[in-house]
Amino acid sequence: MRRLFARCAAAMDGVSVFIGQACSILLFACIGVSALEVVMRYGFDRPTVWSTELAMTLCATAWVLSVGYVTERNRHIAITMVEILVGPRVWRWCLLVQMLIAAGAIFILMLALWDPAIKALRHMEHSGTAMNSIQPTYLKVLLVVGCVLYLLQLAANITRWVQRTDQDIGHGH
Amino acid sequence: MGIEIITLLIVVSLLTLMALGVPLGITTLTVSLGTAILYFGERAGFFIVAANVGEVLHKYELIAVPFFVFMANVLERSGIAKSLFDSMAILGGRFRGSVAVQTCVVAVVLAAMSGIMGGEIVMLGLIALPQMLRLGYDRKLSIGIICGAGALATLIPPSVVLIVYGLAAQVSITKLFAASAVPGLLLASLFIVYILIRVRLNPAMAPIFDIPETGLPLHQRLRFLKGIVLPGVLITAVLGVIYSGIATVTEAAAVGAVGALVVAAVRGELTWVMARDAMRQTALTVGSIIWLVLGAVSLIGIYNRIGGGEFLREMLTSLDIAPLLIIAVMMLIVMVLGTFLEWIAIIFITVPIFAPVVIDLGFDPVWFGVLFAMNIQIYYLSPPFGPACFFLKSVAPKDIELQEIFLAVLPFIALQATGLFLVLFFPEIALWLPGLFD
Amino acid sequence: ATARAETLTIQTSFNAGDFSTQYLTETWLPKIKEMTDGRVEVVLSPNGSIVPAKETPDAVAAGVLDGDFTSVNYFSGREPAFAIMGDLISGYDTPEQMIGFCQEGGGEAMMQKAADALTAGEVHVVACGPYSREALPARVAIRTFEDLNGKKIRSPEGLAAAVFQAAGASPVSIPFSEVFGALEKGIVDAADASAYVNNDATGLHDVAPFPLYPGIHSMPSMQFTINKAKWDGLSETDQTALRDWWYSAMRAMTVEVAKKDAELAARDDAGDKIEVINWAQADRDKLREVARKQWEEFAKKSDLAQEALDTNLAYMKQIGLFKD
Ligand code: NA
Ligand code: NA
Repeated sequence: MRRLFARCAAAMDGVSVFIGQACSILLFACIGVSALEVVMRYGFDRPTVWSTELAMTLCATAWVLSVGYVTERNRHIAITMVEILVGPRVWRWCLLVQMLIAAGAIFILMLALWDPAIKALRHMEHSGTAMNSIQPTYLKVLLVVGCVLYLLQLAANITRWVQRTDQDIGHGH
Repeated sequence: MGIEIITLLIVVSLLTLMALGVPLGITTLTVSLGTAILYFGERAGFFIVAANVGEVLHKYELIAVPFFVFMANVLERSGIAKSLFDSMAILGGRFRGSVAVQTCVVAVVLAAMSGIMGGEIVMLGLIALPQMLRLGYDRKLSIGIICGAGALATLIPPSVVLIVYGLAAQVSITKLFAASAVPGLLLASLFIVYILIRVRLNPAMAPIFDIPETGLPLHQRLRFLKGIVLPGVLITAVLGVIYSGIATVTEAAAVGAVGALVVAAVRGELTWVMARDAMRQTALTVGSIIWLVLGAVSLIGIYNRIGGGEFLREMLTSLDIAPLLIIAVMMLIVMVLGTFLEWIAIIFITVPIFAPVVIDLGFDPVWFGVLFAMNIQIYYLSPPFGPACFFLKSVAPKDIELQEIFLAVLPFIALQATGLFLVLFFPEIALWLPGLFD
Repeated sequence: ATARAETLTIQTSFNAGDFSTQYLTETWLPKIKEMTDGRVEVVLSPNGSIVPAKETPDAVAAGVLDGDFTSVNYFSGREPAFAIMGDLISGYDTPEQMIGFCQEGGGEAMMQKAADALTAGEVHVVACGPYSREALPARVAIRTFEDLNGKKIRSPEGLAAAVFQAAGASPVSIPFSEVFGALEKGIVDAADASAYVNNDATGLHDVAPFPLYPGIHSMPSMQFTINKAKWDGLSETDQTALRDWWYSAMRAMTVEVAKKDAELAARDDAGDKIEVINWAQADRDKLREVARKQWEEFAKKSDLAQEALDTNLAYMKQIGLFKD
């Protein structure tokens, strides 16, 4: 059982890191799209109607989907002053509380985002702009996916906490 | 339950969660969800949070942040940053604190090419902070400079804060930009004077770069300008595309990111591994920033809907004090709200209430806009909810804890407050430049 | 008769500092209380202050807001009929004509159908209509229809972009926060913004000194909706009062904004910094012809959009804007 959990956690780490690193390519594409728009508009006098929306969408995807990677590396920003005050043993329990609160909040956020996402999918919300893409629908669904990734990675981190294998990764934020 | 009690409960629960070490994005999110569900019930509560969270992904201004982070990562990894600061240290010669002063100057130039704070702070945090530490500068002083000077991005035009203020208060953005330039330079000067005083009093804070070149006479040191040339060309190019009308401020940041790759290539330092690592680091940084913002914005609508605005309006109208004190109270309110709300939220809540009062009192709304932007800078730095500190934390070397950043920025908050008071009591500092237009 | 006043929190798409917000707050909000003998009060909340502008229908349905007072263009991505109902680019000549369409020409019923496409009948459309014709700030002189050719015009909305494109211009979709800088630096030649009075206040004419006024393109229509349950809880007298109040306020605001716009435009035209450009009727007619083809294209996007266009065209013929 213990081994199974450990293996699942390790698998989730792998998934998060893979998605996170793939996201970095999207950010690069976002830079490319924005720079291209400058060339198209200034160089060729042919502004595109899609660059703003595409750049936003690429960036948003990278922002949201990198959450597993950020969580796996413990890079969420937090105040860790209490660690010095309470000592390592109590702090270890604080770490668990932090992860449980995060899991609770993200779970409720996911519930909150669920209905709007389903509704957007059913009606296929478009942006209503000149490009009129399905960006709004996509972003609503994307947020739900982000929450799921966040939750799964939190589960992996909690597993490591329980099995006391989290020390090797460190908790520096 | 009265709005006063709710406000208090919100602040207390935020502080408690923060103190427990809960990630800040989760902290604000938890409090938003809690308040929304308790106050509106499940359906409406869920909706208000989901709608505001979703809107973050439509905020176009935010996409400049990854551009800046990537640009800075490339400059840092390629060694451009190192030779830039070596050159700066050599050029500064045996003048104590020269690199810190030059960093302030660089920050002012960067502020002229960025409209938002996050971008500039991560950029300085990635490039300047490790270099200043390497050159032996005092940690707290270096951190303070980065946050203080980096925050100038929203005071020195272009500035998204001033644009949003202009739209909310219906004030001329041209005049706001003109009015904010001098106060921006004033703040930068205050920072520089402070640095010079501190390093004079305690020379250990700013060691002289101990290599023989710094002892050379100035004309011989000038050949070390070459480390500055490439970054200088890059900055000039970005400023050029902004001010010549080729690209918008956000697009210019993307051009800069491409430019950084070009500069690295010119120096023969562009490799796939370097570019890939720079991208991965960028993904981690912006990933941690976005979840911070997601949580913070969801409090906006909730606080407004439960009557936060009305509460402030009644508080202001019940005051029977001198006009200038009313302005001071407004500034104080912005600071207090800044402990738990995002700046756009603060503008949405306060400007509609404040602007008419300011005009009724006979003050110039342009001047108030500048005060407002200066105040937003203080909010940006001040603990516990100081986004500037969070942004820096997201890129700073691992051993720098958030609490150290909080302590480091305190003197700079005092300097910002000094600047604010100067503009408060001497409105001409802001108003003489736009006055030339009329 | 100790019942407390029903306070309705309504989000608008006006910015906090807009002339319209101040005018409504000072002049018209007190009147609704009078008209209902103190039974109904309205609190206006500025654009985006509670929920993002395009989410107001669902917010009203969920009860987060009691109602909205919003430009319906925001919902055009969710149901194309809102683009037709929201701003029939170059369609009507005056806001009064379009208010007439809403009040007497079947506009309200059409708007209700569109609203029902977004929510499960939880939103009641009380009234609809525009209050101003937007001016078009430009940094270069666009004096005729032909001058549109090759101009870069910021126009994020689908229908407006299509019309400008068909007229030979290049639509650019930069976000609103970049409009000021883009006009200043010449990234765009003209930008869809707001009424003359608002553009004047934000200083757009400093950087775009050739405003087209009266505007050539846009007359955004707003809707006034109330949560269905709230609406049903009001007495018939109060329901009628709310509807009358809204139309009176919109008509009065139309007059007020038009007066302000005209005063400011006359002032600017007399000075030498700004040249106010007023298109000849012949040029306006050319643009309307081009626009009409785009309306028809756009109407193909959904049955409801087609119905919205047909209802509009029928009314326009009735009042003599079209002959055929
Ligand atoms: Na700036
Ligand atoms: Na703060």
